[in-house]
Amino acid sequence: MTRLRKLLATIRLPAISVLVALLVGAIVIMLSDLEVLGKIPQDPLGAIVLGVQRVYLAYTSLLMGAFGDPAKFGKAIAAGGDAVLWAKAFRPITETLLASVPLMFVGLAVMVSFRTGVFNIGGEGQFMMGALGGTIAAIVLGGAGLPTPITILGVVALGALFGAAWAFIPGILKARVGASEVITTIMLNYIANLFIFFLLVNWELIQREDRTQPISKALDKFVVIPTILPIEALRLHLGFIVALLLAVVVSWFLWRTAKGFELRAAGLNLPAARYAGMGAASSVVIAMLISGAIAGIGGAFEVVGTVKQLTTAISGGVGFTAIAIALVGGTRPSGVVATSLVFGALRNGGALMGLNTGIPIDLLFFIQALVIMFIAAPSLTQRLIRSPFKRRVKEATA
Amino acid sequence: MSTAVMSAVAESAEQRAALRSARIRAVIFLLFTLASFSAASAAGAKEAIFSFWIDKIGGKDIILTFPIAVPWLISGAISGAIATLQFLRGASFRWRAAIGIAAPFYAVATVGALLDGTAANLTVLFTGTLNYAAPVAIGSLAGIISERSGVLNIAIEGKFLLGALAGAVASSLFGVAIAGPIAGLLIGAAVGLLLAVLGLRYKVDQIVAGTIINIGALGITNFLYLRVLQRYPDLNQPVNIDPVTIPVLSDIPVIGNIFFNLSPYFYVAVLLVGFFTYAIFKTRWGLRLRASGEQPSAAGTVGVDVIKLRYRSMILAGALAGFAGSYLALSGTGGFGMGISSGRGFIALAALIFGAWHPVYAFGAALIFGFADATQTLLSILGVGLPPQVLLAVPYVMTIIVVAGLIGRVRGPASAGRPYEQG
Repeated sequence: MTRLRKLLATIRLPAISVLVALLVGAIVIMLSDLEVLGKIPQDPLGAIVLGVQRVYLAYTSLLMGAFGDPAKFGKAIAAGGDAVLWAKAFRPITETLLASVPLMFVGLAVMVSFRTGVFNIGGEGQFMMGALGGTIAAIVLGGAGLPTPITILGVVALGALFGAAWAFIPGILKARVGASEVITTIMLNYIANLFIFFLLVNWELIQREDRTQPISKALDKFVVIPTILPIEALRLHLGFIVALLLAVVVSWFLWRTAKGFELRAAGLNLPAARYAGMGAASSVVIAMLISGAIAGIGGAFEVVGTVKQLTTAISGGVGFTAIAIALVGGTRPSGVVATSLVFGALRNGGALMGLNTGIPIDLLFFIQALVIMFIAAPSLTQRLIRSPFKRRVKEATA
Repeated sequence: MSTAVMSAVAESAEQRAALRSARIRAVIFLLFTLASFSAASAAGAKEAIFSFWIDKIGGKDIILTFPIAVPWLISGAISGAIATLQFLRGASFRWRAAIGIAAPFYAVATVGALLDGTAANLTVLFTGTLNYAAPVAIGSLAGIISERSGVLNIAIEGKFLLGALAGAVASSLFGVAIAGPIAGLLIGAAVGLLLAVLGLRYKVDQIVAGTIINIGALGITNFLYLRVLQRYPDLNQPVNIDPVTIPVLSDIPVIGNIFFNLSPYFYVAVLLVGFFTYAIFKTRWGLRLRASGEQPSAAGTVGVDVIKLRYRSMILAGALAGFAGSYLALSGTGGFGMGISSGRGFIALAALIFGAWHPVYAFGAALIFGFADATQTLLSILGVGLPPQVLLAVPYVMTIIVVAGLIGRVRGPASAGRPYEQG
């Protein structure tokens, strides 16, 4: 019972933050609708009704895109054991899980660095470099006809290596000369993008045949990451399981090993950690290497398992979303996994929202920024939501 | 150990570190010298063919032909002199100013080497450099003001985006040129206030606060562009702010075309940099600003309202950054586009670090970044030299080198980023 109460107390602030952010998002949807705005002078009530309708349509598509259409579940139940109908009904949920996979990887990556006091905003670039590593491994190893398990191991290893190498640069610069990782990681995001663009149009090994656009060869010709569910239409693959396992490993590493303790100590109080004889500089580098490797594996799975071709759009802002996820998840692996599922649902549902209502998915970035703001400023959130929640929010943040 | 002894020890340690980095700097300058001389000998008798427009862009031009080795030799000689002075004078040597002397020669030599004998008109290269530097320098100035007051400011990128969007929309709606910059200024000030409230009142980590603004600005500007501006293109047809021709001065051959026919933003940037250099270092306001960034408790003790001062600085910094952002959408680029700032807000941050939180040096750094960008544009138009992606990456790589302090360590305001509890 107390455990349940504790859990509720932990998730109250994140939950409120997400809900309030969605509410603000709803207001933005209404205010950016010029038809709604145009109606206000003559028919203010009608304008509000129209605005609410628009928001309702948007958010219901978001939910259906994320969790499925109840009507389809009804059909599947009525038809009994028809696998195709069940697959159709369940597809949105599995797509949500699939969308949460890169978020979990990069969320975990960013979380490890945050715990060590390093504000790694370079998840985006490390993810892209990992995707590049995965692409190369898939083409080389898969092309050489190696068995699938070995190729997949190679994909993961090269993804981790590329991501870690990319994260090593800001890590060593921060440790050695105190260069702000905020700026260096962002610069490396831009450079990764240009680097991959350059390779995609200049390197025959990965370049798509007879194409001048920056796009790689189709990777499913070389290797296919096994899917988890037996039905072909459900694309959820091995990456999901690896992400969950990594969350467990990260949790064990940070809270059950001496090195992990050193990293967290460096994040909590750098001078004290240094005074206690811990190599603070090496903590920063190690944290960045781990962070980059995890993000890189995420990129490798995303490109080989899900998207199946490398473009410069492979990351789609995952590095920024990961910051929100790490903070909303209370910089804990369990929290990161849970938040990734929620944000994966938003991302996946956002696609249907865009399709049905033309509301750009970029709105989610804005919502994420709001979520970070509400989480980072609990007393602000407390002010926004008056009395009934007041005491509890305080409890949650204590 | 008494505090006096401890501070003496600390001071000498600091001095030793400063001396060491001065020596490292001397070695780096020496390496530059050697590299320039070897580039000169490698260039041999190959000639650079540069031309400049004499009276107007696209009019008559003057052609300058000289061996590429010449600017390399001059650059090498200057760096050699700098290296010697740096070594002899130690930490007190003003190397940033020295770089300012060497930079133009390196610029000419680099462009010559990259063009590798292809004839090119350089007037646009220089105007491009100066125009690029304008928003970056103003953005740096915004960062300098807020960081000097003790608040870290990584949200310049976000303010650029919002300033650009607001500028484009306001200018399109009102149909007058001045509406754009004013809208940018206002939205920037509002965002500055929001940052101040988050950082100062709610004690949100200032890097997190900046990240919130950057992500939020990217999201909302992309969203509004796709949802509103694309459907109603009339809202994204701003009155462009064209280059102004300064009478008399612009008639000077060659020079007039380069320096006196630029975007008004450039001249505003020069004025702002001059004004704030004076204000920060010579006025009472500036003394208070610096005090609250370095030693807020001391400033508070003598009666400075540190929190109020930081609020005002943040609003001022926001206004400047938003104003600079409006340039991006109003300088003949066809209005606002998604991600129009493309990292320039972060480059402004790098410029301020390179410029050691000094407006004039930050402007100099902005010029270097501007030159890299303009060179890249020139080379990709001519289709010579390196692939465009490599050149596009140059400013980002330079930023990393600058932030890493590989050229010289700098120290920012001591209390920037720390919340201050008013007693």
